[in-house]
Amino acid sequence: MSILERFAATRHLDDDVLAGIWSAAATEGCPATNPHLTSCAHCRSRYSALAEWLDGLSVEAHAEADEAFPPERLAAQQAAIFRRLEALEKPARVIAFPRTTRPATTSQRFARRWIATAAAAGLVIGLLAGQILDLRHRLGGPPTAQRDPVQIVTRPTVARQFAVQPASLSDEALFYGDYGDAELGARSARYMPELDEITPRARDDFDRNR
Amino acid sequence: MAGAQPAGLPSREADSAAASAVKGLQADGRHAEARERYTELVARHQRRASRIAFHYLRDAAEADEAVQDAFVKAYSHLSTFREELPFEVWFTRILINGCLDRIKARTRRERWLVPMPESPGIQREYTERVAGPGPSPEAHLLAKERRQQLADALSRLPERQRTVFMLSHYQGCTSREVSALTGLNESTVRVHLFRAIRKLRTLLAAEPAVELGDKRRVNP
Repeated sequence: MSILERFAATRHLDDDVLAGIWSAAATEGCPATNPHLTSCAHCRSRYSALAEWLDGLSVEAHAEADEAFPPERLAAQQAAIFRRLEALEKPARVIAFPRTTRPATTSQRFARRWIATAAAAGLVIGLLAGQILDLRHRLGGPPTAQRDPVQIVTRPTVARQFAVQPASLSDEALFYGDYGDAELGARSARYMPELDEITPRARDDFDRNR
Repeated sequence: MAGAQPAGLPSREADSAAASAVKGLQADGRHAEARERYTELVARHQRRASRIAFHYLRDAAEADEAVQDAFVKAYSHLSTFREELPFEVWFTRILINGCLDRIKARTRRERWLVPMPESPGIQREYTERVAGPGPSPEAHLLAKERRQQLADALSRLPERQRTVFMLSHYQGCTSREVSALTGLNESTVRVHLFRAIRKLRTLLAAEPAVELGDKRRVNP
């Protein structure tokens, strides 16, 4: 044995070396084997103290975990695992989404479909008829403006002794005739007194009732 | 019951035999028998699994859920289990991954939550306790403080060191098993364990000094 080796063998082990020896022993699962430890009582006692401290940590940690998991809790846990395993193998139950409060019967659905079809058909027929009438009107039907003039007869008023002249113009000719704006304005102004005369008044009714 | 446990086999071999039997029963579609047989494995590993989950999560309810999830997951993925690996190692890996996922989820959740102040019921706990044959309130309190210090010190370790320390020291796994569990090299496992012990010694030895230092700073 060289002087250096002898010196190393007699020198006390530091904490890191002791921790290294302990961790090597722990990971290999066998007791610590170090030549210095077998010969040096001081280091052996320090190593024992370290091992004791670490074992204390382990015991403390296990005690804490065992307090949190008493046998009753473990039994409940086992039952829960078993239940979950059972549920794992059962097919999932599909719950239908509640669409209507009353289930729709087949006849109701059939009737609803007919209503929709009839409405759609009516709409189409109405549109077609409208188009045909419009076409006929454009091609040769009598124009709306040349209808027979409407005779507007008003009752003679009591208060004013006016004889109401029958209007010889049709409504459409009056309002939608081939006049320009200015001419229409002039003609409208001309007819205004006549319109005013044929308009019944509340006062006339009042006088008549009296 | 199909595939009864062979007598006199060590627990690891018995585990492998039970796992293979469950796998076979599942493949045959005999699910009720498979579940019955799996209960054996559950009973054998439940306590150990609960300890591991509790050391990781520090919450009994969450650890309970993590253990349940791990057993259910292991059962439903048993077809992927390879017999050359011990069932214990395979299952522990599932459990640890589940615990780490839960820790990550908790960290994300706590980022958005404000912690509630401690309820007065916890402070009254010791005064309301009646005398009994168990440890005295003082001993209970001291043990609780010690455990809290140890848990704090463990939580300050880097994740790998913590995992290696817990598996090899608390669970008694060898470096080969820890290597299989964590995917680390065996020599790396030894280094992590050594560093974990050294750091724990420093942290636990420095704990009272740190508290004193804090008090002095607050009340000069």
